[in-house]
Amino acid sequence: MAGKLDIRRWSGVLDVGQSLSGVVLALFLWTHLLLVSSILLGPEAMSWVARNMELAFLSDDGHGYPWVVSLIAIGVGLLAAFHVLVALHKLPLSLRQQKALKSQMQVINHSDTRLWSWQAGTGIVILLLLPVHLWLVGSAPETIGPVGSAQRIWGEYGYLIYLPLLLTVELHAAIGLYRVALKWGAARDLNTRARLRTIKTVLSVLFVGIGLAALLAFLPHTPA
Amino acid sequence: MSGRILTFNIFRYDPQEPGDKPKMVQYQLAETSGMTVFIALNRLRQEQDPSLQFDFVCRAGICGSCAMVINGFPTLACRTLTAKYPKGEITLMPLPGFELIGDLSVNTGKFMRELAERLQLWLHPKGGDMDIHRLEDPMAPEEAAKLYELERCVECGVCVSACATKQMRDTFVGAVGMMKIARFELDSRDGRSADDFYHVIGNQDGVFGCMTLLGCQDNCPKDLPHMQQIAYLRRKMASTLL
Ligand code: HEM
Ligand code: SF4
Ligand code: FES
Repeated sequence: MAGKLDIRRWSGVLDVGQSLSGVVLALFLWTHLLLVSSILLGPEAMSWVARNMELAFLSDDGHGYPWVVSLIAIGVGLLAAFHVLVALHKLPLSLRQQKALKSQMQVINHSDTRLWSWQAGTGIVILLLLPVHLWLVGSAPETIGPVGSAQRIWGEYGYLIYLPLLLTVELHAAIGLYRVALKWGAARDLNTRARLRTIKTVLSVLFVGIGLAALLAFLPHTPA
Repeated sequence: MSGRILTFNIFRYDPQEPGDKPKMVQYQLAETSGMTVFIALNRLRQEQDPSLQFDFVCRAGICGSCAMVINGFPTLACRTLTAKYPKGEITLMPLPGFELIGDLSVNTGKFMRELAERLQLWLHPKGGDMDIHRLEDPMAPEEAAKLYELERCVECGVCVSACATKQMRDTFVGAVGMMKIARFELDSRDGRSADDFYHVIGNQDGVFGCMTLLGCQDNCPKDLPHMQQIAYLRRKMASTLL
């Protein structure tokens, strides 16, 4: 009776959707971070990346189409919105559930449960910060570049958003991928699981490091 | 490490006694060699406080009665040596998530029975064949070994109380339920199809509600392979969507 999609099957679809949306968001996140950190190679490198993201090579005047960036921002926003809606199933929404989680974590010492509570907590913070970031960039795509971005980050206090967003999203994504791997059975034994956990931590630290370096690299380009 | 004085902090509360309030009570006991938490509890009850309630039957890790939270880890008291704790301090709490009978004693039996009825945790022979005189088909040794691996569960309830998902969502079946479903899913004699199992656990209260926190895997005193089996069930259930 394969292929029958009645209402009872939704929780399966949602669970697969949670994993897929999470994985796509995480892959986007890391690609995005690597592209932005082209600033570490100098302003020319970043301008080149920004031009190509706007598909400058397709336009006659070489200015490209900044709205492509807006489209990407909208796409990421939609994907994140879906991801959050599914996640709401899992978060302790009622006071009773929050109390149960708190008392459980007090009585029982379990590190992967603590990891999950970090994932849930960082998820909430991302929920607040991501829309601001998407709006700032999506509404002014033409300003992306060494000077425009530096102005946004350091001249207009964007770092107040970017620093916490970087920290939370890099924790959230790496823990999330670790969990996706375990929940669908990528770890055949407990040693593999331990290895995946180490990789998860390395990824978080690595990307937070690259992200911090990139943010600092914008500082000298801030217009006076 | 005999000769030490152990300090026990034990959760005490009798819901039957009007006016009683949950509290932690401290006891001291001289350690003897090879002492388990189970032996210590019996000594405490015999020598210091006859009202102390806790469960045990086999004292050998087989019956699953003596599970409790020992210094933050839910496990079997009869298989936990006091020598494991260099500071000599041992805190005992009842398993969370079960009906409390009193002190360290919880009603896991009631939970397991309701679970078995709800998930129909017994063999449903192929074609509804209920003829008990018919010889069963032989089973390949590899299959029997796989089933036996899951049959080792002693229904202690540790995986249920170690699961934060279960604590947040009362109706969640918990790892023990899924392990038992996996056991019948793997059994070639069982007539239920993946679709049938989907109706029982293909929902937020079943495998799709599991958040893979793996408290079950990390605490099961029988080291059952929860991580692999639950992932297997999840893939199996997800594959019925296609
Ligand atoms: C763009 C940034 C985001 C990325 C890269 C991301 C990535 C991921 C990944 C890979 C997972 C694991 C999926 C799974 O368990 O199947 C996950 C789970 C989760 N995400 Fe996100 N996520 C993001 C944004 C958010 C936001 C804004 C929230 C807001 C509440 C959120 C809440 C959650 C929760 C609660 C889970 C755990 C679900 C569970 O335990 O089953 N995420 N995320
Ligand atoms: S699966 Fe392990 S922890 Fe769960 S009830 Fe069985 S023996 Fe206890
Ligand atoms: S008394 Fe039977 S398992 Fe501990």
